[in-house]
Amino acid sequence: MSYVAKPGGASSTKRAPKPSLLSREGLHIFLARWRHSGFAYVFNILLTVVIALTIWSLISSLITNPGRYLPSPFVVALSSVDVFYKGLLPAYYGNTLTRLVLGSILGLSLGVPFGLLLGLNRTVSDMFYPIMNFFQSVSGIAIFPIIMIWWGNSEKTVFIVILYTCFFPIAFNALSGVRGVPLTYVNAALTLGASPFQVVKDVLLPGAMPNIATGTRLGIGFAWRAVIAGEMLVGREGLGWMIFTARSADLTAQIILGMVTIGVTWIILDHYLLRPFERSTIEKWGLVLR
Amino acid sequence: MSAKLIVQGLTHHYPDEYTGETVHALDAIDLKVEEGELVTVVGPSGCGKSTLLNILAGLLPYEAGAVSVDGVPIRGPGSDRGVVFQEHAILPWRTVTRNIGHGLEIKNVPKHVREPKVQAFVDLVGLTGFEGKYPHELSGGMKQRCAVARTLCADPAIMLMDEPFAAVDAQTRITLQEELNRIAIATKKTIMFITHSVDEAAFLGDRCFVFSARPGKIKTIVDIDIPRERRNWNDMNADSVFLAARARILKLVREEVADVVEE
Ligand SMILES: Nc1ncnc2c1ncn2[C@@H]1O[C@H](COP(=O)(O)OP(=O)(O)OP(=O)(O)O)[C@@H](O)[C@H]1O
Ligand SMILES: [Mg+2]
Repeated sequence: MSYVAKPGGASSTKRAPKPSLLSREGLHIFLARWRHSGFAYVFNILLTVVIALTIWSLISSLITNPGRYLPSPFVVALSSVDVFYKGLLPAYYGNTLTRLVLGSILGLSLGVPFGLLLGLNRTVSDMFYPIMNFFQSVSGIAIFPIIMIWWGNSEKTVFIVILYTCFFPIAFNALSGVRGVPLTYVNAALTLGASPFQVVKDVLLPGAMPNIATGTRLGIGFAWRAVIAGEMLVGREGLGWMIFTARSADLTAQIILGMVTIGVTWIILDHYLLRPFERSTIEKWGLVLR
Repeated sequence: MSAKLIVQGLTHHYPDEYTGETVHALDAIDLKVEEGELVTVVGPSGCGKSTLLNILAGLLPYEAGAVSVDGVPIRGPGSDRGVVFQEHAILPWRTVTRNIGHGLEIKNVPKHVREPKVQAFVDLVGLTGFEGKYPHELSGGMKQRCAVARTLCADPAIMLMDEPFAAVDAQTRITLQEELNRIAIATKKTIMFITHSVDEAAFLGDRCFVFSARPGKIKTIVDIDIPRERRNWNDMNADSVFLAARARILKLVREEVADVVEE
């Protein structure tokens, strides 16, 4: 924590008169502050986005019939006004996010305890380890066909696949997290008088936390892909459905808009929620020395 | 008054999963530790010292004999017997204060009662100013101080220490030994301290149990009759009682190690 510059943190202390920005020293200080400020970070991102958009526009202006093959960013932005106006995008976006959030919450609340429970006993965890490893590797998209046979083209089908997709990575990582907690930690707690429940609460759960965080990030990442695929395959209203149906009407701008929404949503979710969660546990646990 | 810790005829074998044979780790151990006494245990590697300690801690079930603390037989781990492990035993996701106060937390001691107690132990082991640090932000010596404070704070009847200072550098180790001596004076705890260092055994122990090679047996008990208040490294290096005790322990241990090598 101590190495992270906090915005405004330094300003409260009194310091010597500032060297002029025009002096060499002043410029160095300015550059160093700039590099550590949030602005530099945002600026770099913006720069990358601008470069990407420029390349995209260029390609789009060079090809024939860009409206069908690759509409320019401007046209895509215009189409977003259109779908927003019709209320299509907000509604579909809401549907898709709701599926993801509900599926993830349920996946977490089932997967973490399940993984922990299996991890408690060595024999049980040895037995389940390969099975859990198996299922966490069979992707959500791969189980769609069989779930569709069982439950048809229903909301249930989509939801079960989302749940499946995040449950297994989360449970599997919780399981391997518990297995990785050193026995000495458990023994130390026992000799402090901990009950089995307290051992789980104070040692095994926090000890498995970095793995659980990793599993959560993985699981939700997979689930996000599964929701989109699921909406297409099963035909439920949502972002995936929007880009799928847009294809039959040759609404390429709408397809791209959907893709951008999917990607940007993930970046925001990952950057502001999942990664900080993962990093904070890993750092606090001292697994990575800064 | 009867002794604090009584061990009678304690025997232990480990099964070897691969060969099906058994390892005879402890052979009919008898020992007594008095209230407020600090005993040290030395012996060749693999003679069963850790086995003894784990049995006393209740972490390892024993097959034959009797073990009791304050007349109560041991059945599993409990907060009456605190353990300081060799290393890596304080929880990395808890700060110094939360590690030290863990035992009290487990007993559901309310926060306002816990905090002053924890602070007292933080100060006692010299970690003042590091209360909010995580273990990976501490040096090896500081981690062990934290581990000692955690065990003390749970207020066990007996403290069991298994080579607690083995992983720290020589300078820090000497400081930690003097600190433990000071803590022993201040808290009057009954302590069993396992070590490989003959210096440490003679410096800290009221008595020193010297173990024979496997199967572990107590070969000799060396008395070290020096008041705790006088024990510090400046004086000990010239103290005839200390020097004699150290020489004796060293000789006994070397005989055992020689036997092991000859086997
Ligand atoms: N879990 C176990 N399973 C099988 N054998 C074991 C186990 N733990 C210890 N042993 C054996 O029992 C004997 C005594 O081990 P112990 O750890 O008590 O020795 P020690 O005196 O503490 O040695 P050191 O000084 O090296 O720490 C050793 O020969 C060891 O190989
Ligand atoms: Mg040992």
